[in-house]
Amino acid sequence: MNIIKKPSWLISENEVTPQELFDNRRTFLKLGAASLITGGSIVEALAKDNIPVANLQYIKDKNPNNLKLNTYDQISTYNNFYEFTTSKTGVKDLAHTLDTDNWKIEIDGLVEKPITIDVLDLVKKFQLEERIYRFRCVEGWSMVVPWNGFALKDLIKLANPLSSAKYVRFETKYDEEMFPDQRRGVFGSVDYPYVEGLRMDEAMNDLSFMAVGLYGSKLPKQNGAPIRLVLPWKYGFKSIKSISKITFVDKEPLNTWQKANAREYGFYANVNPNVDHPRWSQKRERVLGKFFKQKTLMFNGYEKEVAHLYKGMDLRKFI
Amino acid sequence: MKRLAIHLLLLLPVLFLAFKVLVLEDVTEPVKYIYTVTGVSATVILYFSICISMIREKINLMKFRRAVGLYGFFYAFLHLINFAIFDAQLDFEFIAKETIDKPFIYLGMLAFFILLFMTITSIKSLYKKYNTYHRFVYLALILITVHFLMAQKTISVENFCYIGIILVVGYYKLLQKIVQNNKI
Repeated sequence: MNIIKKPSWLISENEVTPQELFDNRRTFLKLGAASLITGGSIVEALAKDNIPVANLQYIKDKNPNNLKLNTYDQISTYNNFYEFTTSKTGVKDLAHTLDTDNWKIEIDGLVEKPITIDVLDLVKKFQLEERIYRFRCVEGWSMVVPWNGFALKDLIKLANPLSSAKYVRFETKYDEEMFPDQRRGVFGSVDYPYVEGLRMDEAMNDLSFMAVGLYGSKLPKQNGAPIRLVLPWKYGFKSIKSISKITFVDKEPLNTWQKANAREYGFYANVNPNVDHPRWSQKRERVLGKFFKQKTLMFNGYEKEVAHLYKGMDLRKFI
Repeated sequence: MKRLAIHLLLLLPVLFLAFKVLVLEDVTEPVKYIYTVTGVSATVILYFSICISMIREKINLMKFRRAVGLYGFFYAFLHLINFAIFDAQLDFEFIAKETIDKPFIYLGMLAFFILLFMTITSIKSLYKKYNTYHRFVYLALILITVHFLMAQKTISVENFCYIGIILVVGYYKLLQKIVQNNKI
């Protein structure tokens, strides 16, 4: 008798993956990865809030420290944006006058070739990624934000600064039509345009980030659309919003808050629980949405990444 | 009727605060919010309390003056409780250190103790003896205003309005005093 004994590895024809599907297996994997992007914490938040459709494509942050995200609603309704108002809850309703269409960014100063570029063209040059960062305001509150954007150092490499460039100076757009507080002249809350700055090595640090999105969709106007800086180890006021000009310079720029009150705010503004603000303690922070405070971490928890930048500096002096 | 209306009006801020924080739960930064609502309520009520004698010829609220002042103290007390429980989390070492270290806090504390003194001595038997010291309310108001301004990151137009009110009320009170002294 001729009994055909099937070997254990033999499978029937209908179980075999068709050639075209096999060839497409990598596309399929990508689809899987894409669905992962909108997985986990983001989906949780989407369900809770009215988050706009997450339509940006970006590399997901694995969130190794398991930071618990603040909601889209909290992040987009509690803003310090003095160009509109000093009321943190009031910015959202006023921010509609900010017109991000045809937004140009000037990159000049000590560079090979100064350029003016539309923000959309600029963003196209980079692969977007997600960065889940702690954000600590000098006023004593904090949150955890999933930003989308690209590393500042990539933009700097693109700009090609000269070796004489020691600092980067950033400027928020000046447009009295868009920003009501800029119209108030001497009665304005601070001097405009808003200016911030970084030492070149700080700017080239991996953490320094240019954000164009939040929770996977483009930045809400009240959060500094269309493009803003994010420096998680520094107090929030360093993370300048709605940038229209980036200048490479050889001297330390005078940033807006230092200009307003140099005794209380310096150039560095590193988060430091051991150095109090002259008027209030910086040892603890109120996480948005929570009743009780938590301890503030040295460099806001990014000591490993940035402490070397300030080696040998007296952090009580260089506030 | 008038009594009920005044009490309701003075209770409104705390009812509103409780509703926002405990029922709606839509406050992003609750501790800060409690500071703002209780602080502004105490300030406005105390300013109103010193105006009662000024307007008595038009509207006589003199018999409610003590109640108004006590409400002012009540909101200041909630403000302090917020500091001790939610802000400092009953870390008394922290409270003591901060109070000594930060003018912003000791000015507020000093104002609170003036109000506490006035509250205790507002009962009839003590008031007779201590009523002249109740003029310290003006000092308390100045401290409260400075404390309030120091809590701001920048001084805005609204903040200048408070300074304006102090100057106007102070000027008016001074005029009243001068007129009174000349009559006698």
